[in-house]
Amino acid sequence: MKCNKTLLKITPLIVACTLAVSGCSSTKVQRVDANQEVALSDKWNGKDSQLVAEAMINDMLSFPWVNDHLQKEGQRPAIIIQSVRNKSHQHIAVDTFLNDLKRAILRSGQADFVANQDVRLEIREERKDQELNSSLETQNEMGQEQGADYALSGTINSFVDEQGGSRVTFYQVDLRLIDMTTNREVWNGQKKIQKLQKRSRFGF
Amino acid sequence: MQSNVFNHFYLATCLLCLSLVTGCQSTPANKSAILLAQQGNFESAKQAIRTDYSPNGKSKLLHYLELGMLNHLQGNYERSNRLLTEAQEIIEAQYTISVVESAVALVSGPTYTTYAGKVYHRPLINLYKALNYNALANRAGPNKQQYLDSAMVEMRQLDTYLSNLKSETGGYKKDTEQAPTSDQLINKIYRIIQPIFAPSDLLVNIDYKDDAFAHYMSGMLFERSEELDSARIQYQRALSAFENGFAKQYNLDDKKITAQVYTDLIRVMTKAGGYHNEIRKLKKKFNHAPRGAQLPLLNVVQNVGIGPQRKEFNLLLKADNESKALVMTPILWGTDKERKAQMRWFQMLFADTSIFDMVQNYALGDIGDVAMGALTKRIPLGSLWDDAEDAGLIQALEYGSRISVTYLEPLQQQVKSSEVWVNGQKAAELDKIYSVSLLTLQDALRNANSEIQVALTREIIKAITAQKTINATGLDQSFAGFAKFATSVVNAVTASADLRQWQSLPAQINYVQIPLTKGTYEITLKTHLTSGKVIEQSEAVDVSDSITLWHTRTFLHQSRVTVPESTFL
Repeated sequence: MKCNKTLLKITPLIVACTLAVSGCSSTKVQRVDANQEVALSDKWNGKDSQLVAEAMINDMLSFPWVNDHLQKEGQRPAIIIQSVRNKSHQHIAVDTFLNDLKRAILRSGQADFVANQDVRLEIREERKDQELNSSLETQNEMGQEQGADYALSGTINSFVDEQGGSRVTFYQVDLRLIDMTTNREVWNGQKKIQKLQKRSRFGF
Repeated sequence: MQSNVFNHFYLATCLLCLSLVTGCQSTPANKSAILLAQQGNFESAKQAIRTDYSPNGKSKLLHYLELGMLNHLQGNYERSNRLLTEAQEIIEAQYTISVVESAVALVSGPTYTTYAGKVYHRPLINLYKALNYNALANRAGPNKQQYLDSAMVEMRQLDTYLSNLKSETGGYKKDTEQAPTSDQLINKIYRIIQPIFAPSDLLVNIDYKDDAFAHYMSGMLFERSEELDSARIQYQRALSAFENGFAKQYNLDDKKITAQVYTDLIRVMTKAGGYHNEIRKLKKKFNHAPRGAQLPLLNVVQNVGIGPQRKEFNLLLKADNESKALVMTPILWGTDKERKAQMRWFQMLFADTSIFDMVQNYALGDIGDVAMGALTKRIPLGSLWDDAEDAGLIQALEYGSRISVTYLEPLQQQVKSSEVWVNGQKAAELDKIYSVSLLTLQDALRNANSEIQVALTREIIKAITAQKTINATGLDQSFAGFAKFATSVVNAVTASADLRQWQSLPAQINYVQIPLTKGTYEITLKTHLTSGKVIEQSEAVDVSDSITLWHTRTFLHQSRVTVPESTFL
């Protein structure tokens, strides 16, 4: 009986302490390698962007159009990225993906990359400014831009299948390269990513 | 003996008074905020939200939902979307129910849980985000396509959500809101109070099973982006949902709305091509041909008023030794209108007004019990009385216990009609396409049974725990009586219903589609109120695409719109 009474008296204390401890939370931040994948959800993340860009550009540069162009023109092909439309169910930072694509192209050394329209306009403004303000020796001439030989464009699509706490997300990136002179599609690439996320209905 | 009776009466009166005082209605901060926004005081409205709803607290969802909506109304679309995205993520995270939090809520109250929103909030978040992206698309030159794509992302998320909802509900949704419990005492009390509530067949067809309006808006936005296949699918889903119960459930004019969706469906099928057989079947089914000339379409979406407020009302639970029953009596409080609403809510959902209840009361009590049926709810325990005594329930309810539940006042029809005038000429009348008021009411009705069950269980557990603690202290009779009264008071003060809700939503949404040739028009929206007042809103709208969407918020207590709350899309 006495034991029961003691237990009764300390029970609220134990409950209160447990709740207090479980309620305690602290913020912890640590540096991780930018190449290391930190997947907190099944959403499209930086690693997906990087992996897809590298894989697709490698595939693209392995097709015969590069050598054909070199033989015909005697110089590396110049590519422009037109647009990659996000048709998925997730908000994907398309600009980040495009930057990954550009880096992969430039790193390969097999093709040149031409700036897109927005950047070109900015550069032209800069050249106009140079005409007025820069010395003759350091000025860059207008009309000497390199035109793109090929245009790269594509889409990111996704499908979601969900049942209870399980969700399968399937991302598909489709890219195509068009010869700007002939409109021939010289390459068409596809990369698929599938992610499975499981969530528990009850937790602590 | 007389003194003892007097003491008990005095203590019970004190308890009742304290219950009433703590149960006093006060306007929640988010209601005050939207009332401020109605008058154009957006900064004060936002400050009210920031003060009362922390971005990290249990009501953090309301922080983001309300601020998201206020920024949307102000035209801060990027900011609104960032806030609504946070809200989406909070709702997602609530999929996993915290057992610890549920256990705490069981003994302390539902307001101690993290607010997870209502099932119909998610589609509305997607919709408002899509509207924000479309508005941004119209503002931005080179990024237009990116914003339109983002709007479509929201519509795809919406589709995934609604597909899951449909597969989950399958007609009627299972009650999945309660966390499992292994507590024997709780299970025992659940069994005792099980027969208390309104027969389940009285509350049929009020589940949120699908969202025809969300499908329809989705179809419209897909069509605007020339994604005709997706638009067709969404229109088909909208048509099916409107026809099969959505229109009836939310009191919409089903003939008009289905005719509208049918017209849209045929249009996208014709545009896409290859649907001759389907078009023929549809034309046969609806027996009238849609408009021939394909003029650009102006879609007017009017968000009207402010959604209803959830309020609290209290019940006193006592044990009746003579008839071996638990008796619940409503404690009516507030204005005359509020008290009437509380009584009607009680009578509608809980009171012993069915023939079965009357016969049961007659069998267990006397004629008085039958007559009192409309004012009380009796839970005859019969053979369970001894179990209840063993569990300490009867003793714990000596001074009664306060139960708090939510109710909604009867919905008032404040809008008589809404008209669209184009360049000074009346063009069309708007029809109701969505009712947040009815969604809120039906949600409250649907949850009324489980809410009172959980509230009853919680208050009984609290009372029994207090009783056991007092017994264990070994206090003499007079001190034990005082201690019991004191714990009853504490329990009464801490009892409260969960009144949290997304308050800045409109009460209803009206819609009409007007074919116009390309050009800029002076669009005026005239809202006729039942009070005779007419609210006018005007804006120059440029109809340049095949689908143009103009949406606006009409507050009913403001004669002229002075804030940028309308959006040309």
